[in-house]
Amino acid sequence: MAIRANPKLIDELEPYGAEDVVKCYHCGNCSAVCPFSEAPYVFPRRPMRYLQMGLEEKLKGDLQPWLCYYCGECSDQCPREAEPGETMMSLRRWLTSRYDWTGISRLFYKSWRYEVGAVVVVAILTIIGFLAFGFSQGSIDHYDGPNAFLPSSSIHIFDWTLAIVLLALLLSNAARMWWFTMGRDKTLRVSVGTYVSRAYLLVVHFFTQKRYSQCERKSPWLVHLGLMLSYVTMLILIMFFLAEMASGPGVDWRVHVFGYIATIGLVASTIVFLRRRIRKSSAAYKHSHESDWIFLILLLAVALTGITQHILHRYGVDVAANLMYVTHLAFVVPMLLLEVPFSKWSHLAYRPLAMYFAEVRAAGLEKAEREAAPAGDLQAA
Amino acid sequence: MRIGVFICQAGIAEAKAVNLEAVGLYASNLPQVEVVEVLGLLPKVDPDEVAKRITESQLDRLVIAGDSPGFFKPAFTRAMSLAGGEPDEVRLASFRQYGADTANSTERAKAIVACAVYGVPFSLAAVPAQTKMHPASLVIGGGIAGIQAALEIADAGKRVYLVERTGTIGGHMAMFDKTFPTLDCAACILTPKMVAVGQHENIELMTYSEVESITGSPGAYKATVLRNARRVIESSCVACAQCSDVCPVSVPSEFDAGIAKRKAIYIPFPQAVPNAYLVDEASCTYVQSNGTKCGACAKKCPKDCIDLDARGDVVKLDVGSVVVATGYGVLDASVIEPYGYGVHPNVITALEFERLTNASGPTGGRIVTKSQRLNKKTKAEEWVFDPEGAPPRSVAIIHCVGSRDRNYNPYCSRVCCMYSLKFAHLVREKLPDAECYEFYIDMRAYGKGYEEFFQRIKQEGTFVVRGRSASVSERDGRMLIKGEDILSDRVLEFPVDMVLLAVGLTPTERSDQIAAMLGIPRDQDGWFTEADYNADPTGTERGAVYVAGACQGPKDIPDTVAQASAAAGGILKGIVSGRGVDSLGSLSLEEIEARAKTLVAG
Repeated sequence: MAIRANPKLIDELEPYGAEDVVKCYHCGNCSAVCPFSEAPYVFPRRPMRYLQMGLEEKLKGDLQPWLCYYCGECSDQCPREAEPGETMMSLRRWLTSRYDWTGISRLFYKSWRYEVGAVVVVAILTIIGFLAFGFSQGSIDHYDGPNAFLPSSSIHIFDWTLAIVLLALLLSNAARMWWFTMGRDKTLRVSVGTYVSRAYLLVVHFFTQKRYSQCERKSPWLVHLGLMLSYVTMLILIMFFLAEMASGPGVDWRVHVFGYIATIGLVASTIVFLRRRIRKSSAAYKHSHESDWIFLILLLAVALTGITQHILHRYGVDVAANLMYVTHLAFVVPMLLLEVPFSKWSHLAYRPLAMYFAEVRAAGLEKAEREAAPAGDLQAA
Repeated sequence: MRIGVFICQAGIAEAKAVNLEAVGLYASNLPQVEVVEVLGLLPKVDPDEVAKRITESQLDRLVIAGDSPGFFKPAFTRAMSLAGGEPDEVRLASFRQYGADTANSTERAKAIVACAVYGVPFSLAAVPAQTKMHPASLVIGGGIAGIQAALEIADAGKRVYLVERTGTIGGHMAMFDKTFPTLDCAACILTPKMVAVGQHENIELMTYSEVESITGSPGAYKATVLRNARRVIESSCVACAQCSDVCPVSVPSEFDAGIAKRKAIYIPFPQAVPNAYLVDEASCTYVQSNGTKCGACAKKCPKDCIDLDARGDVVKLDVGSVVVATGYGVLDASVIEPYGYGVHPNVITALEFERLTNASGPTGGRIVTKSQRLNKKTKAEEWVFDPEGAPPRSVAIIHCVGSRDRNYNPYCSRVCCMYSLKFAHLVREKLPDAECYEFYIDMRAYGKGYEEFFQRIKQEGTFVVRGRSASVSERDGRMLIKGEDILSDRVLEFPVDMVLLAVGLTPTERSDQIAAMLGIPRDQDGWFTEADYNADPTGTERGAVYVAGACQGPKDIPDTVAQASAAAGGILKGIVSGRGVDSLGSLSLEEIEARAKTLVAG
């Protein structure tokens, strides 16, 4: 098969954050220090080589960038300051934009102006929409009850509609990811059984991020896990227990214990990450792409406005609670609608998927090797 | 006369070296200059337009200034003839020819332009001050570079003072076992030269001494040399070793790169020149206790040549020229934590291995791994090289340790690839059953016979792995080495018995003081800067001061010897002509311009 090289690839990656790839002289230090670099996935040097050579298609089908959790050890020890860790991060951004068929992701990563603009537009539309909806069917003086400004039953329907749209986008992008990395590779023969038998890995990697814990520094893993678990808890609460959360005046502790813990988790972890990025405390936080800032700021704003509207409601300040609710939604909707399918948040799907695919692929390769081995022996004989 | 100045650069690096705008402004204030145009980097010169310009401003003379103005001359000559002017009146002001092509060369460039405007050759206007050349020379540093330079000058019949900081001449080369790529015995080449220095009637050897200051001008320098107290009378000592036998102090030997011990009164190695003992005052009990304790060696000496109360001395020398041959240091491998030097016993540096494999070294040339031994004094277990120790079954050599690495030394140390290949040969020669691995990034076998040497090492069965190893750890008493083999795209991790670190070369600790004392610049890495990288690689900014050997930049023995001989040639040129000439850098713009004016008037 002919291999097509894109000599401009290295320049095209620059807006995604990979600025120092050219400096790499392939000493292999990074691949040797990386705790995840194990056959058949030897990185970060190999993807860096692909980049230098402009092997766009090869990179598009590469799972290796997703296997990196960016502990920064490789960048710290790189003799050329070629920033292999940041290159992996940039490749993940680039891959996200390749998986996305709408092309929106590409725009967002190319210029932060598009992303911020889209967030503002969606936020304004959300505010207008919910204010119009609230005033048309309820009273701003009521937070819950029959005359509520934004009744939880309506919001519930809205949430599920949004969820279905997001799921459709994510699944279609994930399908493209599967095609690029697994499906179109004719040499790879993997049975359905292999896919099924390893499906549990998807759940394991999603919920534990256990590979992250193999990095030398443990604190990033713990904070990252805290953020993710808080987010998932909140997501479950909102999708299934919205009525209980919004009900008042009595506090339903079964819901709220989880709600408070998740809120504390979200606020604390986003603040920790923001602080590290501001201080550039280690290699992993030294280079912040605009999309990193937008994501963290949105997430923090969502958590803070969410808990504020809840407190206002508890203290019976319903008008303020309703206004805060609209503000909360003005952060939530753009964050979900734009970040989940098109920007940083999408890695919640791609990374566990990539790890799952990687295991399946490795199993497939191993099987092929086993089958090929006897033939090889015969030839040798 | 009406003159037009056109400034155009041909080279990108040179264009940055000179501030063209400043030169243009300066040129516009010169008498008779009517037109100044700064055309910048690689301009397209249209003869018709320049001709129009010449006619408009009625120019009689054109000056083309720039790094390589000859490149643009045809276009201007044509313009001159189109305008009906005199083609001979197209004058060149070449920055490169007169050395205005390095950083901060703007003043020099101005002077070059001024001379072209006045119509005076720059070499006539810019004549540095001259003094009478004193026929004696000073060589600082007694390694192979200093030895070679001193011998060349002395053999020509001229007096040389050779000042060496340690107790013997020989430098790093004396420590080496073999030289690459010929595998000659280093000592067999070096020691005859050392003896020649020691016996030469024209060389005054001052070991255990340091140059404190150098004043004066080229051809007439005054050097102050501090002669540290050797505490052993050099001329009487017969090196019988009775003093060191009774000396109770034992410290790591510098000559053996720390892998063996020496006494406080010692001779660096048996072939030392001068062949006399010396007392290390930092470890001598008698000196440290102000004469209240010990003194055993002085009582024992059969020749009565030990004077433990001796004091240092200061000598003043008149010399005409100076050779700086202060050599290099090596990177402290312990700063690179992943390699675990100083933590794992069998991770050793290149110099330590040189001594280990040297027949005159502590194991008699047997390559062994370290063994654990109880130190009776400190009651602690120590790792030492025991001649009876176990030979390694496998050895890994890691290239580029601290070299080509922005975290340590960004430059290539130039000798490590070749000495590492030499190590592989020595290991395989002495231990044919041992496996030997070379971990390299790029194999820089760049010299005559070097590539062939590399091919030979591969044929001898050394495993050459492309990819610098990243870390060394310890498992079951062996060294676990981990690195990527980038050609087969896999991460390797396997145990070896011994790891050799090919540590890079660094400028010596004192190089900043020496540079300040001599008034010669250092580059960003700390090496002394030569006058002109291509055209004058041994001269310096300071007249009659030459650099030779690794103090100017990492280099191997053949290059060092060649450069030392070249430096000696430069010095002899000065002595034969009888003139000490200051460098161009000593002249100010005003001086050159004033002289150009007088030449025009004359």
